Amino acid sequence: MKPAIKVLLFSFFLCSAALHLNAADKTFQSVQITIKTVAAGKQDSEFDPRLAPLEKQLKALNYRSYRLLKEETQTARWQGNANFEIPGGRVLTVRPQEVTNNQLSLRVQLKQGDKPQLETTVRMNNGGNFILGGPPHEGGVLVLSISATAK
Amino acid sequence: MNTCGEIRESIGAWLDGELSGAEADAVRSHLETCLICGEERRQLENLNRVMKDIFESEDFRLDVEPFWHGLRQRIAAKRPWHADLAEWAGPFIRAPSFAWAVPAVIVLLIGALYFGSILPGWGVLAPRNNFATVESIDAYGRNVALLREHESKTTVIWLYQNSDNENEGAGETSDKGPAF
Repeated sequence: MKPAIKVLLFSFFLCSAALHLNAADKTFQSVQITIKTVAAGKQDSEFDPRLAPLEKQLKALNYRSYRLLKEETQTARWQGNANFEIPGGRVLTVRPQEVTNNQLSLRVQLKQGDKPQLETTVRMNNGGNFILGGPPHEGGVLVLSISATAK
Repeated sequence: MNTCGEIRESIGAWLDGELSGAEADAVRSHLETCLICGEERRQLENLNRVMKDIFESEDFRLDVEPFWHGLRQRIAAKRPWHADLAEWAGPFIRAPSFAWAVPAVIVLLIGALYFGSILPGWGVLAPRNNFATVESIDAYGRNVALLREHESKTTVIWLYQNSDNENEGAGETSDKGPAF
């Protein structure tokens, strides 16, 4: 067999593998959601070393101290709710809706007791995160890092 | 083998004794009667004689001894380690054929897809920022700010408390102004 034919056959095989991988991208079964609850304040300048991966994002908020209160990960099916308890009697509900072009659509609701405080739909990169902040907490505020990865 | 042309083509082989008996007899009998072919035979015999004289002369002797001596020396000489290494690594460091650029590009694309699927955000084809798009938002009457923090490429949703603070969080208080 001529070398050029071998190269072409090899390329065809590789293309098939690439298409297979691309197709696998559309068969995510569930979404792993991680909520990091951070207390941010202006009293001192403590930065919790466990928040190092979020340092750049958090320091843009211009608070002086950042302390990780809680980190919780749950796996939710599509259109299923994942409920996270947030300090101050709050509950954050995250519902994965769909994934398109490696971007996840999440329905996020924050409640305090029975009172809804915020309801939003966010489209984010698979594996990415966004910040939800502002609820008061012990003289400072709560900052939530909401990340999601389709599995 | 009857024509002069065929005979003349066979004279050289006849002189070298390469023809079979019948063919040799045919050439011999033709040469005895044909003057033109006989002239051709004489020219070839002269050429053979001259060539033989040249090869047998003293001046033409080839001195091959220096060649054999050099060859024996090269065979006996030990190869340096870098020559062995270069011979071993030659196929790896030699410039690849251009045809292999096609599968090489495909392999790179597969790698991008693969790492993008198992490590979201690491793939070459993955978006280069972490910005999220807020498609809808309802803060139930509260003030809310949407920010895109460009340094860390992060989307921030900031929920402000109402001025009456609604007694949220059992008396929790926070600074009023935006923190950005």
